Amino acid sequence: MAEFSTSVKDAGDVNIIYLKGYLDAHTAPILENTFSNLVDSGRYSLVVNFRDLSYISSAGLGVFMAFIEKIRENNGDIKLSAMNDKVFNIFDLLGFPLLYEIYKEEDEAINKFSQIKKLENGK
Amino acid sequence: MSKLNFLKINGVELKSNLKFQTFLGLAAVLFLFRIFFYSADSLFWVIINELLVGLTFVSLYFYLLDLIHSKIVDPLALVMNVGIINALIFFLFTFSSVILGSLISKAESSNINHSLLYNLISFVFSMFILASAATIFLAFRELYFYRQKKNVSTYFNTMIVFFALASLSSFLSHDLKYLKDTFFIISVLLILINSIRISWIAFIVKKEKISLLVLSVIISILFFVNLVKSSNDNLYVQMLTAFSPSLNLFLKIVMTYGAIYFSILFFTTLFHIPTAEAFDRKAQEVNFLQYFSKLITESVDFKELTETVTDIAVKVCNAHASWIAWKEDDSFKSIANKHIGYYDSINLTKFIFENRLEKGSEQSFIIKLKRYLNRPQLSEEIYYLAAAPLKAHNEVKGYLIAARKSDIIFDDEDRNAMDTFSDYASVAIENSRLVEESIEKERLEKELDVAREIQRKILPAKNPEYKNLSISSVFIPAFEVGGDYYDFFEIDKSKFGFVIADVSGKGISAAFIMAEIKGIFESLSKTIESPKDILIKANEILERTLDRKSFVSAAYGVMDLVKETVTISRAGHCPVILIRNNIVENLRPSGIGLGLNFSEQFVNSLEEIEIKLHNNDVIVLYTDGITEAKNKELEDFGSAHFEKILVDNSGCDTDEISNRVMHEVSVFSQSHAQHDDITLVILKWKQKFNNDGEKEWQNSAPQLKTQVM
Repeated sequence: MAEFSTSVKDAGDVNIIYLKGYLDAHTAPILENTFSNLVDSGRYSLVVNFRDLSYISSAGLGVFMAFIEKIRENNGDIKLSAMNDKVFNIFDLLGFPLLYEIYKEEDEAINKFSQIKKLENGK
Repeated sequence: MSKLNFLKINGVELKSNLKFQTFLGLAAVLFLFRIFFYSADSLFWVIINELLVGLTFVSLYFYLLDLIHSKIVDPLALVMNVGIINALIFFLFTFSSVILGSLISKAESSNINHSLLYNLISFVFSMFILASAATIFLAFRELYFYRQKKNVSTYFNTMIVFFALASLSSFLSHDLKYLKDTFFIISVLLILINSIRISWIAFIVKKEKISLLVLSVIISILFFVNLVKSSNDNLYVQMLTAFSPSLNLFLKIVMTYGAIYFSILFFTTLFHIPTAEAFDRKAQEVNFLQYFSKLITESVDFKELTETVTDIAVKVCNAHASWIAWKEDDSFKSIANKHIGYYDSINLTKFIFENRLEKGSEQSFIIKLKRYLNRPQLSEEIYYLAAAPLKAHNEVKGYLIAARKSDIIFDDEDRNAMDTFSDYASVAIENSRLVEESIEKERLEKELDVAREIQRKILPAKNPEYKNLSISSVFIPAFEVGGDYYDFFEIDKSKFGFVIADVSGKGISAAFIMAEIKGIFESLSKTIESPKDILIKANEILERTLDRKSFVSAAYGVMDLVKETVTISRAGHCPVILIRNNIVENLRPSGIGLGLNFSEQFVNSLEEIEIKLHNNDVIVLYTDGITEAKNKELEDFGSAHFEKILVDNSGCDTDEISNRVMHEVSVFSQSHAQHDDITLVILKWKQKFNNDGEKEWQNSAPQLKTQVM
């Protein structure tokens, strides 16, 4: 059976979620759990790293939709990064690039958060 | 059944009544006989007298036997009855000298026929003795046979014979007195032998044994006193002997029996007292285990079962509290707490299993809590814990834990009891879990059956047929219904609509959304012509019903049979493939999936493309079940593979093309279970040369016949 796991790294104001394995209807609750733990503890600036994710199904995509609204209401965001071509294609077909910021590298996504922060502080 | 019982009870009652009436009749005959015929001088009348007394006794004996057997025999109750009757006899013997004496002297002094009065008094007195002796004797008989596993009736029946012989020989003349004595001595010997059969006291509990000890002292003393009294030459003995010498002797025998029996009973009970507690405990253990085995077959509810396990564990191990530490993932949670607070049990479970060697122990173990640092945090003083593993398939699933709130350590006995019981409990718990799992599995399968049934009814039963458009469709559902949907709509005489969609998620929830999608597209296709506008409207409608996690990818197209064009809009679905002159083109107008966004952004994202149809153009609609079909190495079937097959076969008719694709997909993924629905719709355009836009419907699905207003 294909396995799936997540791990979370704390990078200052931003949290990075690393996905690994197969994300489908059966493993989606694991990611859901990770998100709700972060959101419940007030972490709204999230970067998801897809480097080690081999597959994502529609139920896996649904997890991002479930949390994005609440996160954006709290001035946060989910930024996606480091997808392989296959995974990106799935996101792309559904039009996710219009709804989410997708970056080639994790750092770009983190920098984006800090830029916004600087802008806010500059005000 | 109840009627039969009723009759049976009636039968017993009738028979008992008959016996009682026989007894009354015989007693009446005896009384009349005594008044009118009896003479102590004639041996003939004496023998008749003894026979009548004997018959009366026998009839009463059988009546009482029925009476006793209609109830459940309880040895202690029998002993009590014997004691009460004995006490009555004692009082009668003590006070009768006075009462009988005054009665007789009064009778003699008065003018009444004193012989009649004397007869009456002696008759009543003798009958009382007769009844008492019969009852006591019967009680002995019941005690003798109680809890006897072997057939021991021979000894008892022999004894009865000698009782009868001794009693009946009592009226013999003095020359034959040795005969009576011999019978009496043999009777006493038999009484001694039969009195040893008192194994039933082993089966009564300690409390009852103690009360039996006290009772047996009192009753044996009563019997001795009554025996001595009945052997003296008193007024009442004289009266009884005058009435029937046999009855007098029988009374003596019964008193002897009682004196011997209760003396032996007293000593035996005395010797049983020290072991009574251990015996009680073993008996209780056996009872609990029996009760528990019965429960295993009756109850499969996990919660109920674990509650019972801890409940019995408290009793079996003489503990004060009990709970089960159930393994979940790598930690233990506390369930089925008995007489212990939830937090206490959690803390103690943590203490036992964290940082200790016992974590994976397959043996039972005992823990002293004296050195447990967090002990002050517990709401109660707990001194000792005993834990036994609950195993299934040689794997420890949890521990049954018993706790003592007193300073008495669990001994080996307790531990053994705990071991035995936890073995039983393991089997029971595993059983209940297996049953629960299979019920859950069955429920899920039923649910999936329903989902598949919904899906089957939603998809078109047949493909529409046109003169210059051939259509093929294949749909293969996954075991866990995937939510694929496709459909065809007749818009007007010259326009034909088609849709393909994939609902996110699986199972019954996907099936319900599918049903909703079908309704939306079916109604929108009749009122809105532009594919883009239909998708915009569909998204608006879905905003009201879709939950945030769900979305639908869809592609909608309209074919104009007169203008020979196809217009396509796509909301997040796989591209529509066009094969023209052996060249594949992925038609991928931009568009976000339905349900992902409900703002202007969705509307703005949607594109609509129009293509002029050429002769032999092949249009392919599909879901990712094809491109993501996997082989043993978990590799995807892939778009390139798919497109190559399409190109290679684009010259064939639509059925042939889809057959080729499905064949390749099934060969590719034969060693890997299909995990998503597969849908493939192929349309092929045949240029018409007399272009009049006429269509022909053959065997079309019912919904295709409805005309648009």
